[in-house]
Formats: sequence, C-alpha cells, structure tokens
Amino acid sequence: MSGITPDQRTGRLGIVPARFGPKIVGGAEIVLRHIAEGLQGRGWDVEILTTAATDYFAWENDQPVGTALEDGLTVRRFEAVKSTPGTERSVLGHRMLAGDRLSLAEQERWMNDDVRVPDLYHHLLLHANEYRALVFGPYLFWPSYACSQVAPDKSLLWTCLHDEAAAYQDIYKPLLSGVAGLFLQTEPEHELAHAIHPQLAPHAVVGCGVEVPESYDPDHFRQQYGVTGPYVLYAGRREGAKGWDELLTHFGHAVLQRGLDLRLVTMGAGEVRPPAGLEDRVIDVGFLPDADRNDAYAGALAYVQPSRYEAFSRTIMESWLAGRPVVGIAEGGVVRHHVQTSQGGLVYDDAEEFAEALAVLVNHPHLAEQMGSRGREYVMARYQWDIVLDGIEENIIEWTPAPTGALAAPGRTTGRVTGVDS
Amino acid sequence: MRILMVSPYPPQRDGIANYTAQSVAALMREGHEVVVLSPQPSAAHQHLDFMAGPRSWAAMSRRVRGFDKLVIQWHPAFFYRNSSISDRSAIDLAMAGVFKLVPQVEIWVHEYEYAEVEASAIRRRAATLAFSQVDRIVFHSESERDMFLEAVPVDRSRTALSQHGHAFLPRTSMTREQARESLGITPEAFTFLCIGFIQRHKGFDRAVRAFARLGDSPQARLDVVGSTRLEEPEFLAYLNELEWLTGGDPRTTLHAGYVSDELFDRWILASDVVVLPYREIWSSGVLERAALFDRPVIATRVGGLEEQAAHRRVTFVDDDLALAQAMADAAGLLLDPEDVGTLGGELDELPWAELQQAVVRRAAALRGGELRSRTSPAASTPARRDDDLDRASLLVRRVPPYVTPAPTSTRPGVPAAKRLIQRLTAWQVSPLVSRVDHLQAATANSLALLAEQIRDLRASSDADRTSGAERANDQPVDEAQD
Repeated sequence: MSGITPDQRTGRLGIVPARFGPKIVGGAEIVLRHIAEGLQGRGWDVEILTTAATDYFAWENDQPVGTALEDGLTVRRFEAVKSTPGTERSVLGHRMLAGDRLSLAEQERWMNDDVRVPDLYHHLLLHANEYRALVFGPYLFWPSYACSQVAPDKSLLWTCLHDEAAAYQDIYKPLLSGVAGLFLQTEPEHELAHAIHPQLAPHAVVGCGVEVPESYDPDHFRQQYGVTGPYVLYAGRREGAKGWDELLTHFGHAVLQRGLDLRLVTMGAGEVRPPAGLEDRVIDVGFLPDADRNDAYAGALAYVQPSRYEAFSRTIMESWLAGRPVVGIAEGGVVRHHVQTSQGGLVYDDAEEFAEALAVLVNHPHLAEQMGSRGREYVMARYQWDIVLDGIEENIIEWTPAPTGALAAPGRTTGRVTGVDS
Repeated sequence: MRILMVSPYPPQRDGIANYTAQSVAALMREGHEVVVLSPQPSAAHQHLDFMAGPRSWAAMSRRVRGFDKLVIQWHPAFFYRNSSISDRSAIDLAMAGVFKLVPQVEIWVHEYEYAEVEASAIRRRAATLAFSQVDRIVFHSESERDMFLEAVPVDRSRTALSQHGHAFLPRTSMTREQARESLGITPEAFTFLCIGFIQRHKGFDRAVRAFARLGDSPQARLDVVGSTRLEEPEFLAYLNELEWLTGGDPRTTLHAGYVSDELFDRWILASDVVVLPYREIWSSGVLERAALFDRPVIATRVGGLEEQAAHRRVTFVDDDLALAQAMADAAGLLLDPEDVGTLGGELDELPWAELQQAVVRRAAALRGGELRSRTSPAASTPARRDDDLDRASLLVRRVPPYVTPAPTSTRPGVPAAKRLIQRLTAWQVSPLVSRVDHLQAATANSLALLAEQIRDLRASSDADRTSGAERANDQPVDEAQD
C-alpha cells in the first residue's frame, strides 16, 4: 500500500477524459474513470471534466451540460462542438497516414477540424488555479492538446502514446515536453516516447490496473447470446485504426482457406461489415454488461488483438484474467511486449501466421490452457489497481506543488453536488 | 456586458491569440459575458472565415446582433485576403456597416498597413469611414498612434494607449536551470535567442550574420525558434534561407516547428540574451515576455520598440555592425578583427585590391555564402567541407512539395465547386506537379552526384599530397639537398 499520508492528499484533482459514462468503450476513458474513482476512494477531492457527448462517432451532446453527481463522482460536463464538416481532417489524415509531411498550419487545421470543447477551455482559463492537477488523456484528442496548455504546470497526461503517424506531428511536441508530468503504461510506450521526443516532460511508467472478476460462467454467455461451437473474441471499436478490417480478412483466411471451425464473436461499437462467406461466422453481441463481458472472455478459444496502436491493451489483460490466451499482432510493440513477457499467447505478422496460431490453439487445447494460465499470473503480478494508484499518487505529489491557503483543504470523499446545474 | 471578441485564439500558435486569451479571462473575471469569434476553428466559441471578403462581414452583421460591444484584435492578415486596394476598400466599407450595428466598438491595433493606406486616396477614405465608427482605438505606443492618425485621420480623443504586456502571465513554472536542461542547453553555454514567427521583417537572418562575426567562442550559441505564420512561398523561402544560414555554423541552430505558449516562455527563460533584430515592427510581444522573465534584450531601433521598452533591460542598435558589437559585448567576446577592420569605416584607406576583396566577401556574407569568420577553425576541417557539399543538394531537397490547396470555404457550395474544379483539371495539373517533383528530385540527385565526385577528387588529391610528402620525407638528406 502507498506510503502517502492523508495530509498529503490536498487540493482538487481534475480528471479530463473526452467522454465519460458507464457505457463508454475506449481504453483511456475507462482507465481515467477507474483512476478518478480510485483516487477519490483514497481521499482525494476529485472532479471529472468532460464533454456532454458519450458516442465516439456522433459526438452528440446526449448528456446534460452542467455539474452533477454521477455514481459518486462530481462530473462537470461541457458542450462538445463539432461545427466543421471534418472533410479537411479526413484528407489531411489520409495524407498523414501515407507519410506526407504536413505543414504546421495543416496540422493545426487537422486538429481543429474535429470535436472541440470551447467551454472546457474557458473553464480552465478561469479556474485552473482551483485545481492542484489536471489529468488529461489520451494525448491525441483536442481537450488534451488544447486544454493542457492553459496551465501546463498543473497538467498531467495519461499519455496513451502509440506508434502512429499522429504521434510524430510537431503540434504534439509541446504537449509531451512541456506538461508537468506524463503517465506511461508500459516500457514499449516509454521507449517510443523517448524515441519521438528526446526531451520528455517528467514521466513515470505506472502501468494500468485491471479489475479481477470474482467468477466466470462461460456457459451462461453461450446460452444468453446463442453462441455455439468454438469462437475467438474481439472487444473494442470496429474501425480501421483498430485493425478490424484486417482482422476480418485474416479470420476469413483462417476459416475459409485453412478450414478452422471457428466463429468470431465481437462486442463494442462500429459497423461489423463481415465479408461475403463470413456472414454467419461473425457474431456481433453489441455492448455487454460487465459480467457477460467477462463470461465471453472465459468462453473463447482465444482473444484476438489486431490493433497496432495500443498503449496498454486492457482487453488482452481481461482475457488473461479469464485464463484464455491471446493471439495478437506483432507489429506495434505493446501487444508483442505483453505476449512475449508473459508467454500468454502467440503473435502474428500476416494472415498465415494468424491462422497458424489459431490452429495451434485449436489442435492443442492444453497449450491454450497453459498460455492462459501464464497470462493470468502476469496480470495478477503487475497490473493491479492498488499498485497503479500508488504510482499515480506518488507522482502527483512529486510533480505538482501542494496548494496553499483556502485551496489546501483536505480531499473530500463525498460529492459536492446533488443536482444538475447548467 | 455582452462582448463579442474577434481574434485568432488558442490553440492556434499566435502571440495575439495568447494575448487575447489572457484578456478574455480578465474580462470574464470582471463579470462580462464574452463570446470569442476566431478566423479559424479554435477554442473560440464561434469561427468565421474572413478570407471570404465582404461576404464574411455580411455574416458578421448577423453575429454581432445582441452584443453590447464588439472588440477586434486587429492585424491586416486576419481580415484582408489580398493586397488589392479595391478589395481592401470594399472590406473596410463592409466593416463600417457592421460597426454601425453595435452600441460600442473597440479595436486593438497590433499592426497596421500605414504606407498602403497613405498611398491610396480611395483606401484612405474607406479606412477612415470604417475607423470613424469605432468608439475606442487602442495602440501600444505613442508613435504608432501618431502614424495611424496620419494615415487614418479620425478623432484623436477616441484613441488610447495601453501598455503592451499588462495582462501577461508566465506560462512556465520551471526554474531557469530546469528550462535550460530541458532544452539541451549546458550550464556554461551563453545563449542568444531569436524567437517568434519566421518572416523576413523579423530579421532573424541579421542575428545569424551578426553572430557569425563574433570571435572564437565555443560556448556561445544562437538559437532561432519559431515557425512560419503561413505556408506561402515567400515565407517558406525565408525559412529555407534561415536553414541555409544556420546550417553554416555549428553554434547556430534553427528550431523550426510548433512553439506552444509554454515552450515559448521556456526558451526565453533559458536564454541569456533575447535578440530582436527586426527590420520593421510596431510593438513586440517577445519584448514583453522577455521582461516577464527578466531577460536582457538587444533590439533594433524600429517602430515603437523604444517607447515600449521604457526602462526595461534593452540595448538598442541602429545597424548590423552595432548589432554584432552588442552581441559581442553581451557575451564578453570580441568581434572578428577582420570584420572590425573592413566594416569599421576604414574602407577609404584600403588598397583597391583589398577593397574589392572586402566588397566581394561582404556580398557573399549577405547572400549567406560566407558566414563563418575566416579564423573559425571549423571552416577548414574535412568534415566541415563534406557538410558543405551535402548542403548543396539539401537546399533543393528542402523546397517543400507542391500541395493541392484544400477545397474549403465558408460559402455554401463553394467547397463542392472547388472539388469539382480540382477533379476536372487534375488531368492537366497532376502531370505538371509530377514534372516539378521529378525536376526537383533530378536536381537534388545531380548535385548529390557532383558532391560525390568532388569528394572523390578531394580524397585523391589529399592522398597524392600525403604520398608526395611521405616520399619527400623518405628521401636521404643528401639526395634531398641535391
């Protein structure tokens, strides 16, 4: 347990995810929620600063603007503004992905032709002094980019840095070099940060926590959702940047050409769009309650992780906790690092390796069991919230000075707001 | 009071944007309801593309309704899309119409095109009409106000002066040591800093040339930090020129890239002397930020800088020699004696041949072709010669690629029309673009090939000299004496 004493937990902490809510699918958003809950539980005065939008694709303000108590946390919501068509962002984004050098003006237009949160910016412009620290994340979003610069000496970043084209854009350099501190989740992310920005802001690898379910009931999941036969599982956003389209192609190769008797069960957001011949092999179960989600992991032959751009990848941890192996993409670093270190699965570089990895697990169930078991040990030893929160607290205290005067009141564990004001 | 503030705004990198954000915070703290409108999407509440010309002011006439006051942070680049007198006059007239709709109008003038307005009676009338609708026009210096009133004769009682940095707050909480360490500046280094938008009138090239005249001083360094305001040819050409100039001396570095407010302040805090070698400017936010961190400044005596500086730690200079001398004095160094000799007004006494050489050498220096002091030891090393060869093709390679303009506009239907035109003309334009790219690549490759051949020739010549010398050393003494 942390050596932090209660009197050190002074000052208000603003946690700033782009979206907040119980149904949010998105690694950083979920993690920031847990961090907020964990720090409040330890006695910090915590406030969530976020948008009134919860949908990553539509960004509609479907929650009331204003301050409210949500599940015990004070949540201050601001209007998400999407007043530009996004066509220029799309064009510039494609050029960025193709390796084109974007000028600074183009990078700025790329950043601002998307969701912006002017009222959050102005709230911080006026009230940043009322917070001891502001924890933004991930680096990629407008609130992190624009709002962390209002009070950089109080701004901490839950970085979520991926080896992607955006990370190399000049506009992010001040963010990664000039804030009060960077929280990193893995050694590969740490190495990447140094490779991209030689002069990093103060930083620490604190890991990331994963909740351990009390029990699993895979049969319940199968019955509830009508899933029969062996399946592999994918959880997350179904979009190109997450490797979804490539996964469908590889999966098609494994079942149609290699002849593996498998289904692909998927949960999360985004269009599924199974290719011809796979319509009955790809099963979308949508958003699941936590218990059903955990049962889905436990019932899978393996969890498949096709995303190159992961800063931590909590879904593979959830699979390992359920005792199931992971078949993950080698390129990108983080997934390979976890799989290699834990020996809790296999990695692949192309469709053949993907199919071969699945074939090994299908044909050698005891290997799948061993890998899953090693994975669980790996998660239990490294990625528990108590350890992670200890690191976060220690660094908040080291990187941000304790407030003085009226702002130095010790943290409150009860909500300050009982209704909604706008 | 409901106030509509028109200005570029963060996160856009712009000194005026930063200035406005701090002003908006101050107004909000006073209890005013402030809505910010910026020319591009930003953290402002609204945005409006003023590059649509008078039409955008028609849109403004709808936006200003319901506000008690309109405040504009004025820079010509924000509002005028080209330099046509008729276009600018039309915009001035459209503005005048909008100003009549608001109970109070206030304009903060950061830059103004005095010469252009004075040169055209039409423009002068249009500008006067627009500004005569303004209740309060604020300047940063007396001389700037005088110049303005000469060009745009409006009631002087409606004008006011405001100290430039009255709302400025430091954006970094680092100590000086931390700032230097974070920027890779060693404790013993003496750092001159030029910072801001990279454009010719800022004169950063003058600082690079002046720095090159300082005598042997391995601990001295000059850092030029900033980015171009616009990606237009004249700005990029100047950026290229600075890259070439700074590449000529290992002690000078161009940090061309995004500079946030925090990074801006960190550089100033880390520097030993801030250099403002401006060719023209009316007021300087950098000067204010240097004062905020108590950094000494060397500045050229232009515009209203001397008034703005008041009692701050600023050394003013009038020409390039004085600039070099001030930099040398600040770092406790001497100027290159040859430079002092040839630049110090003793040209009359030189024999013609030396005078001619001095002229040739000065011209080369002004072109950027001979920057380093001739006594600089770095100039003659083989590695330095190779670097120079590589830079020959670098200049060509660094010409930015042609980028098709984005089909954007605030006018309905225009983006679609632009996209259609792009599609229709692509069959003609694309081969030309491709041709230009190929020519650029071919030129760079040819220069690289030439550089390689020169390198080979040099190596072979050096080898010949070495073997000749060895042969001479190997000869018996008496034989050599014969």
